[in-house]
Amino acid sequence: MTGTLIVEAAPMAIITDLGRTRGPRFGLPANGALDQYSARVANILVGNAEHDPLIEVTASDARFTVTADALVSVTGADAELRIGGELKPMWEPVTVRAGQTISVSDITAGLRCYLALHGSFEVERLLDSCAPDPAMGFSSALIAGASVPLRRSAGAAANDHWGHSLFNLRVLRPHIGEVAQVDVIDGPDIAEFSGTADRLFQDTFTVTDKSNHVGLRLSGGPLPVRTSRTEKLSRAVPIGALEVPPGDELLILHRGRGVTAGYPVLGVVTSTSLDVLGQARPGQRISLRRIDAEQAISHARAWRAELSALRERVALAFSSLGLAAHLPSGSAHRATAGAGAVASRDPTSR
Amino acid sequence: MTRPALLQTHPHADLVRVGENAVRITGRTGDAEKDWRLAHAVSAQLHTRESVTYVSAVPTYESVLIEFDATTTDLGEVLEDLEDVLDHVHLDLPLRPQPRTFQVPVLYGDDDPENPYGPHMSRVMKITGLGAQEIIARHSEPTYTIRCLGAPGGSPMVYGPDLGVPIPRLRSPLTRVPQGAVSLAGLQATIAPTVAPGGWSVIGRTPLQQLDLDDEHLVPYQPGDFLSFHPIDADAFLELEGRRMEAEVLP
Repeated sequence: MTGTLIVEAAPMAIITDLGRTRGPRFGLPANGALDQYSARVANILVGNAEHDPLIEVTASDARFTVTADALVSVTGADAELRIGGELKPMWEPVTVRAGQTISVSDITAGLRCYLALHGSFEVERLLDSCAPDPAMGFSSALIAGASVPLRRSAGAAANDHWGHSLFNLRVLRPHIGEVAQVDVIDGPDIAEFSGTADRLFQDTFTVTDKSNHVGLRLSGGPLPVRTSRTEKLSRAVPIGALEVPPGDELLILHRGRGVTAGYPVLGVVTSTSLDVLGQARPGQRISLRRIDAEQAISHARAWRAELSALRERVALAFSSLGLAAHLPSGSAHRATAGAGAVASRDPTSR
Repeated sequence: MTRPALLQTHPHADLVRVGENAVRITGRTGDAEKDWRLAHAVSAQLHTRESVTYVSAVPTYESVLIEFDATTTDLGEVLEDLEDVLDHVHLDLPLRPQPRTFQVPVLYGDDDPENPYGPHMSRVMKITGLGAQEIIARHSEPTYTIRCLGAPGGSPMVYGPDLGVPIPRLRSPLTRVPQGAVSLAGLQATIAPTVAPGGWSVIGRTPLQQLDLDDEHLVPYQPGDFLSFHPIDADAFLELEGRRMEAEVLP
């Protein structure tokens, strides 16, 4: 029996996934979970494919109920997770009984929590992704009272064995410090700043309240100075592009960024650090550090290796409970760029 | 000063690193048309390949940004593959064998900066020293080739009209540019398919609707198709408002 998730209150929550990889060629941003690591962990913990739809809760409280037994996990920013009023651990699979309330509240360190549910959700997609794109008028807003159908039966996975420390899943939990370190690779247009790029790495910056999923604005200074004045032809810029727009702030583009732009790219924030920025709230202090692409890749691979190891431990836990985990066989979300290809969808998910 | 990110050069193109997960190929054939075809041909090649190497390829005017997952793919492999693709690109093949033409009606602004349809016509007049009628004539005269689709999604990007000088982007971008806005920046022009923030000068507005989320291509045109503009008055605007943009049917 498949159930539904009923939204009790979720003013700042959306259903999303790892992003719309087919979007950029049409000029659409990728969007998707701003802390990709935490989103992947949440799905792995409940036996889903990593790119399955899940809920992102930003800087607010959220409450849901389920109409059938379910297995959930909550990751991301430090928060209070309660199931039927009882405090439960984050970063672990947790059983929810039909009719019980799932509540995520009091987000403290960090900004965004991810809530995954075994079986995931049946939602509308645009170009293979359910990630909202507000500019395109595409969203899966979680309005109070709305019900979201679950995609598969979750009942069997809901099990009293979870949460009794039988399984030490040893999830590596990222932590955002008082001053978050954010790594930057030299960008392709660094020469247009005539040696002033080093200013990025001298003082700390502060995330301003004009920051969102499109980009983070950082104040502090002195800022690098653009010395070229030529108007550029628009070209595609990557997620993580660091720019110095007119004004007195740095701009770091995140997953909702406009795909094409005409500003020079001074640096590119690493994928690992973009996850950190996904948890950075206004007022967060940031220390930028210059690293090269090889270092960035080794960081990204280390986190990905953690995910692979976790996936195996979860599979073992599922099989020892006699459950079939609908886990992807390899690294998920390696969408081919094939026109019309559906390779971004995992073959084991239904 | 050499560019630190330059990875490799090919007779037709430079390959530059853009962060840990992307390479940008920029044409250097000396011919902007060929550079454009190269960017789109490389992109089309990557899109048709049965490959898990690439996440996306985004071609624009003269370059293509190719994203891959560096945790599972080595840059060396990517470069080798891209070299191979570049070796086999046909620089003289048209982007589309049968390009279509889209006639776009525009209600243009005037010298009034409060004009709701073209609030920046007066700005463009100051920058170029041209009158509104002259700008309208120059904007609606050419047949433009759609070079690529751009932000916020499905924007038809073209080389703009010849106004003598490039039009600088606005110092402080607008938070809300209406759907249908016909705008200029640098040497470029476009039409906004949806409401979005923007730093381009808006000189007019079309009543036609471009976006259709149920269409697998989202917009009716593709890179390589043609676009042309013609002026309309407020009555015609009201009459056409909300109508879907369609290709001109040839007799």
